[in-house]
Amino acid sequence: MASILLVEDDDLVRDMLYQVLTRASHTVQTATNGEEAAEILSHSEPDVMVTDIIMPKKSGITLISEVKNKHPDMEIIAISGGGRLDPMGYLDLSESLGATISFEKPIDNAALLMAIDLLVHSKKTES
Amino acid sequence: MDGQIPIIERRKIERPDRQRLVLGLVGGIGLTLSLFTIKLPIFGYINLIHFLLGILITILAILLTYLYYSNREHRATLTIMERNYNHQLEEQKIAEESRQKLEKALLQGQKLQAIGTLAGGIAHDFNNVLYAIMGYTELTLEDIPSDSITHQNLTKVLEASKRGQELVSRILAFSRRHHHDFKPIPIKETLDSVLDLLRPTIPASVIVNFQPAAENSIILGNQTQLHQVIVNLITNAVDAMEGEGKIVIQTERMTNSDALTKYLPDAPLHQYYCKITVTDTGHGMDAATIERIFEPFFTTKEVGRGTGLGLSTAHSIITEHKGDIFVHSQPGQGATFTILLPEYNGELTHG
Repeated sequence: MASILLVEDDDLVRDMLYQVLTRASHTVQTATNGEEAAEILSHSEPDVMVTDIIMPKKSGITLISEVKNKHPDMEIIAISGGGRLDPMGYLDLSESLGATISFEKPIDNAALLMAIDLLVHSKKTES
Repeated sequence: MDGQIPIIERRKIERPDRQRLVLGLVGGIGLTLSLFTIKLPIFGYINLIHFLLGILITILAILLTYLYYSNREHRATLTIMERNYNHQLEEQKIAEESRQKLEKALLQGQKLQAIGTLAGGIAHDFNNVLYAIMGYTELTLEDIPSDSITHQNLTKVLEASKRGQELVSRILAFSRRHHHDFKPIPIKETLDSVLDLLRPTIPASVIVNFQPAAENSIILGNQTQLHQVIVNLITNAVDAMEGEGKIVIQTERMTNSDALTKYLPDAPLHQYYCKITVTDTGHGMDAATIERIFEPFFTTKEVGRGTGLGLSTAHSIITEHKGDIFVHSQPGQGATFTILLPEYNGELTHG
């Protein structure tokens, strides 16, 4: 069980992922873009942030690099539906900027949940 | 050009000399004749009139000679000007033609780029849609008994979505800009994937038959570029058959002892080649067309349908892969394009 910030601009994907994550008994906060996410992060610190890459206002790439500066311990999972330029390029970039894992949409939700469990578990054993 | 300059130069040197000579001669003869009239033993005032008349005629003759020469000079200048003008016109025409060709090539490049961008954009949105469908379906599947019809049907929804996902990833792989990085790639799978992609665009009345060799060849190459070559060949074949016929794609492994490798004089000994042939039952080509078939901007398709870049691109791609591409065809007998690619001898690495 973990606290998760879900950042996703697509309403359907956000709602679906919210259900998936809450069913797995995680506590979930949602944001529709990078700006909203930064606002939430200014007053709370979730264990894991799951963020889309291509979003309006503030992209996932910017968000990841900012979050990695301010909250270096937060685990970040990047998800992307393939870019307007090069889908893999964005995910590679997000990983090099600090995302722990990245997934290409459509994601196998079981794999996503497993990744979250692993990240949270390893974090807890570390501390 | 080289032949013209000496003529112009010679004229420039000779004309004033000859003109001066003739003018002098005319003037001299006229004056002599005029002076001669004074010596004739006739009445004085008639002699004077004769003398003056002689002078006048002489001046007139000099004037006419001068006019003749200046007219000739004028005409010569006009001819040169006209020649220069024609030359300029021709140069302009050539410049215009090459500008048009460049524009066309640029347009084609932009078109490809636009398709890539478009495909990337669509893929992104489409993956979101698919992800929502798959996610909600999975959630619902968890809520219902696994032996119900609803469960079975929703499983089918998942299957269909997975097919959609494959399609998107294929479009993406296809439109992604090639980085020209060469990797060991299996020929059979490369052809399979491009045929899968093309199949929906080929009319049902065209039969596509893929006959891979029993032994799969591995070549060192760029998958996207090879896709492009096969797409060009197959779309050409479909166009040549005007909607009805059969396309046979065959692969074969061969050594360079094969007669075909005479096309590859640089082929090292014991080098194996992968031969890919694309045969259609279309209208074929005459020798003149075959001779120019790989030329850039050469097209037999009507304006707007072909850019004349497809096969020249294919040729440059195959050359980049150290292979060769050639065609055998006769009017009304269909056409066979043959591609030879050197096999990769190293280890097959994944990823």
